[in-house]
Amino acid sequence: MMHQKILSGTPTASTDRDVHLRLDGLTKRYGDSVAVAALDLAVPKGELVALLGPSGCGKTTTLRMIAGLITPSDGRIIVGGSDITASPTYKRDMGLVFQSYALFPHMTVAKNVAFGLEMRSVPKHEIEKRVKEALAMVRLEALSERKPRELSGGQQQRVALARALVIRPSILLLDEPLSNLDAKLRDEMRNEIRDIQQSLGITAVFVTHDQVEALSMCDKVVVMKGGQLEQIGTPVDVYETPATPFVASFVGRTNRLEGMANGDGTVIVGTGGLRVPGRPGGKVEILMRPHRLKLVDANAAPEGSAERFNRLAGTLTRITFVGDLLQYHVDVAGSEVIVEAASDHGRGFWRAGAPVAITWRVEDTMVFGRGA
Amino acid sequence: METNTTSLPMKILVAVLFLFLLGPVILVVPISFSGEQILSFPPASWSFRWYTALFNNTPMISAFWTSLLLGAIVTAISLAAAIPAAYVIVRMRTAGSGFLYNFFTAPLLLPTIVLGLAILIVFASMGFLGTFTGLVIGHLVITLPYALRVLATTLGNLPLACEEAASTLGGRPFTVFRRVTLPMMAPGIVAATALCFLVSFDEVVITLFLTGPRLSTLPVQLFHHVESRADPLVASVSVLLIFLTLAVVIIVDRTVGLSKTFVK
Repeated sequence: MMHQKILSGTPTASTDRDVHLRLDGLTKRYGDSVAVAALDLAVPKGELVALLGPSGCGKTTTLRMIAGLITPSDGRIIVGGSDITASPTYKRDMGLVFQSYALFPHMTVAKNVAFGLEMRSVPKHEIEKRVKEALAMVRLEALSERKPRELSGGQQQRVALARALVIRPSILLLDEPLSNLDAKLRDEMRNEIRDIQQSLGITAVFVTHDQVEALSMCDKVVVMKGGQLEQIGTPVDVYETPATPFVASFVGRTNRLEGMANGDGTVIVGTGGLRVPGRPGGKVEILMRPHRLKLVDANAAPEGSAERFNRLAGTLTRITFVGDLLQYHVDVAGSEVIVEAASDHGRGFWRAGAPVAITWRVEDTMVFGRGA
Repeated sequence: METNTTSLPMKILVAVLFLFLLGPVILVVPISFSGEQILSFPPASWSFRWYTALFNNTPMISAFWTSLLLGAIVTAISLAAAIPAAYVIVRMRTAGSGFLYNFFTAPLLLPTIVLGLAILIVFASMGFLGTFTGLVIGHLVITLPYALRVLATTLGNLPLACEEAASTLGGRPFTVFRRVTLPMMAPGIVAATALCFLVSFDEVVITLFLTGPRLSTLPVQLFHHVESRADPLVASVSVLLIFLTLAVVIIVDRTVGLSKTFVK
């Protein structure tokens, strides 16, 4: 059901009552350079939102402004209806998990987790109880008397999460929390963070440069570039219907071809013609996902009608074996197009140098105008 | 422990260097047990008489207590001033932070003799000469820069994220400083304490200008003693000083680790 809801595309405009965190024209300028430019964002209660983009896109700056660690140049931050733009960090009631974990090195795990509760003058017996619960939630009860330096990266990460959550913050902020973990642990923590966030029903903002994290964990993805918002949407939205070529190439892999659109839904690429969704005109760029392409024999009969399938002829130049995938590099009128197929015993049917054709469905063709 | 891969010639070179540096210091030990009237090596006879003489030498003993008290007070004031100063300069980064830092550490660049002379001229008109207050102020001029430099470096190397985490958890600025920043600065504070105390305890040049007939520090008293007499008393004082210094160094090493404190 959840899945269907995502596929049908939940409307991003929520009513004011549902919105828990709202950014209103949030801007940060450093001298002449703009780190975050007039960002508007509405996060409904209980949603996990990813701020996704390359380094320097303003995602961390945005998160730090929400936490109160950076003062915005302009705009407002509204949580649960009240404007907190001017309130100091310690009054904001946000749980922040740092990329470096930022555990207090001179305190034990239990003391680290208890810190936020002590700041809130929670009675001693209750602190003990809640610290225990929080450590149980991240499965670290046994290590409560250790010092942070005696823990592995993954354990430190979980302490940081427990420390941020034990205060029952109104919003959980995560700043690239997984980037210092190795690949296998990262997959585990991804599911663990998502499970905890959903079971607590807490509103969360997750900063990442990893599209897999953003797509797999989050309800909504905010793609940013150079301080500007590129697209807000569900993971399926940003992957299937990217708003800009940047989103298409940053979220997932793409092939890129340039062509001339005729304005009637066809585009000329090199010597071949393609059908594209919509009726763009002028110079365009065509993007296709490598795994949505199929490699066929140059002389094979078309698989379906030309109305529904595109086809371009080319020469197979190289085959790369990457374990679960085979990558075919095809030269199409001077541009390289990569076709991905599941590998089968590491051997492909094709040989480099062969004349081939690639085909794909018209709806898998993404087309963007190339300016005026 | 690191694996020892130092080559033999290197080891010999290091041993020779150590001998060169420590030789004179080591020589003091046998001389202090001399039974002679005059400083000489090797002593013709052995005795504890110069240790006995030392403990019966009232000016020397009172100078020792003056030095100890002076060192303790100067160290305490230096830390009390340098910790907040380092915090403001490193963490708050207001306009002029760099200037303030350079200004406060400038005395380290001046020849001590010039400082001593300047302090003498100023103090003479204020009646601070030969007073304990005068000594404290004079010593602060040189211990403060050391303390500030060590503490500013320590603070600068601390990750800001821990303090930020504490404030997101609800810590007010002063609570964050007390509960997180200060404990994390502990190695630097121990280093600054040891350094300030040793610098003050060891200071001769400026102190020479400031001491009077009724108030003297141990190094100055030693200096005057050597000027007038050449007996092995100075050797026995030196041995006690070496052990005092060693004690400070060992305490620092045991509490926070020597290399962690001084080598950065």
